[in-house]
Amino acid sequence: MKQHSKRAAKLVLVVVIAGAVYGAAQTRKEFRYTVSPKSTVYVANQYGPISAKSAPGNQVVVTVVLRSDKVEVEQSQRGNRVEIRSHLLTGADVDSGQADYEITLPSDANVTLQSSTGPLHVEKLNGDVTLEGATAEVDVRDLSGGHVHIKTLNGPVTLTNVRDGHVEITSVSGDVVLNGVEGPLVQVNSTSGKIHYDGNFGFGGQYSLTSHTGDIEALAPPYASIDVTARSVRGQVENDFPLEPKHSSFVAKAGSAFAGTVGKAASSVKLLSFSGKIHLKKR
Amino acid sequence: MNCAEFQDDLPQWLEGDRKVESEAHLRTCPACHELIADFDFIRRAAGQLQESAEPSPRVWNSIAIALRQEGLIRDGERESATVTVFPRPRGRWLNWLAPIAALGLIAFSLWTYQNGSPESAGQSALPPKVQTASMSLEDRQLLDMISARMPSLRQTYESDLQDVNAYIQDAEQSVHSNPNDEEAQESLMQAYEQRAMLYEMALNRSLP
Amino acid sequence: MTTARKTLGNGLTEAEAIERAKQGDGEAFETLYGLHKRRVYSLCLRMTGNTAEAEDLTQEAFLQLFRKIATFRGESAFSTWLHRMAVNVVLMHLRKKGLPVVPLDDTLESDDDVPKKEPGAPDLALTGSVDRLQLQRAIGDLPPGYRTIFVLHDVEGYEHNEIAGLVGCSIGNSKSQLHKARVKLRELLKTSRAEKANKPRGA
Repeated sequence: MKQHSKRAAKLVLVVVIAGAVYGAAQTRKEFRYTVSPKSTVYVANQYGPISAKSAPGNQVVVTVVLRSDKVEVEQSQRGNRVEIRSHLLTGADVDSGQADYEITLPSDANVTLQSSTGPLHVEKLNGDVTLEGATAEVDVRDLSGGHVHIKTLNGPVTLTNVRDGHVEITSVSGDVVLNGVEGPLVQVNSTSGKIHYDGNFGFGGQYSLTSHTGDIEALAPPYASIDVTARSVRGQVENDFPLEPKHSSFVAKAGSAFAGTVGKAASSVKLLSFSGKIHLKKR
Repeated sequence: MNCAEFQDDLPQWLEGDRKVESEAHLRTCPACHELIADFDFIRRAAGQLQESAEPSPRVWNSIAIALRQEGLIRDGERESATVTVFPRPRGRWLNWLAPIAALGLIAFSLWTYQNGSPESAGQSALPPKVQTASMSLEDRQLLDMISARMPSLRQTYESDLQDVNAYIQDAEQSVHSNPNDEEAQESLMQAYEQRAMLYEMALNRSLP
Repeated sequence: MTTARKTLGNGLTEAEAIERAKQGDGEAFETLYGLHKRRVYSLCLRMTGNTAEAEDLTQEAFLQLFRKIATFRGESAFSTWLHRMAVNVVLMHLRKKGLPVVPLDDTLESDDDVPKKEPGAPDLALTGSVDRLQLQRAIGDLPPGYRTIFVLHDVEGYEHNEIAGLVGCSIGNSKSQLHKARVKLRELLKTSRAEKANKPRGA
């Protein structure tokens, strides 16, 4: 019994010391930069979340929590470009090398964020947004006017209410969900991820959703104005829209390929898969 | 002067060479008056269009990478990139060359990464031949490098690499069986792009 | 160019940026690119009507320019030099694609293209009823040759003698083709306005 309580005491002591060390090692830093319109903010982080949101004013405010003393921040402002990089010291791993970033910035800023584990979150901006993460979950919402480029390996990507820019998403195996995404160019390229599109296919844009083995589901309203081509080499295709035939070399094949126009055919829509299922649904 | 005559004279009119008869016709003809107003509107509105669109950030990324590669940017703060410019391959031109060239140079870049400085490697050996179908050696080298640098990501890269290679194989077969099939060509390019992205990401060369 | 001046918030004037770029300063190249990217890209986009091609051509134009920057002595404005180079890159690309840079033979264009109106009830004038997006689309819908002449003259502000030199046609040809391009554009805008009026909301 005595032995037992001694052990318990030791354990408590260890926990307390560990807590103290952890608490001391975890540091919070804040950096502020004054920028002109159309600034560029670049953040490269190996491990940990980055979130960027617009705020009124002409300041970029970066708050970072470093999880241990194995990770440092290098930061600089050159002209209208703010650059932040996490720097890992020897022995840093996914946990001890983690840095959590929160950024507020003017809405017209261009943003490039990189984190292999993420998640990456961007909200309410009008500038260009470039995001890259290996396993990072990507969540982007309420953007307009800027270009959006996203690359992930297996990180899932969700875009909500993104308008009037070029949207290009390349993900190897992450699922991609687009809700209310419209613009002159919307392109998703995936190897095994599923692609879900729910929107109007507006802006007279070029929409191209491609996945090698993933399913592709696209929901559009009955009044959509599209010129659509869909094909799955080994998978099934399904279409709920009455299509007007069109002149093209594309060979339609019941069950595996269809092509035609809906309404005035203002936007072009291409849905391509090798073995995934494709479904163009009426909302 | 009637409308037809006025409109025949219109190009000169718009250039500022204005006949008295034309002016007289214009005062009495609402249709021609509207025509002039429309042309005026088109000219003014077109003049204001000059710079409305913004290129995607990739354009600068590619330029910066090319400038570094060609030695025109000499910041000295970054290792010189050996990854090639990777123009958007969606247009017809360069359709095939771009992703293949990118893959070749990425492979070269990986090779040099593992064999010391790019200069010494460049002198002692040529870059490996571009052979997309048989890159398993490069793939293994890439995975070894990932194991060393980012062990937690090795599994993700490995399974993604396998999937992408299967994608390329299927897409290549489709193109071979029907070389004029536009969609098959597009899929193949996208497959190459997937592989190029995977390599670029692993080598940390996808952003400037 | 208010954005341009603001981009130079890093304290560099354009001339300084050019000098630094000659020394291999990456930031200077980026500054120059930032100053002119919109204008060059817009030009490429309007002349090709395709975003992917426009981006490739923008990249090519800047690269060609940056490669020659050491030879820039400031005899002409930097922007003039760049835009001329961009126009040449686009024209070269169109020629390679086999697209006409000047409209095809005049004999193909009968007077049907220029409908003559007799007095009567005029349509509603375009002013105030056509927006920027419709105008951009209509320009994109112009046949390639007309588009080139129209964009160079009415959008980019080149004179007929310059256009003649750039595309390799006579000054008279440039003038008459511009007129036809405007007539076509007017028709396209009227059609697009009518379509918009008939379109259900949200489509």
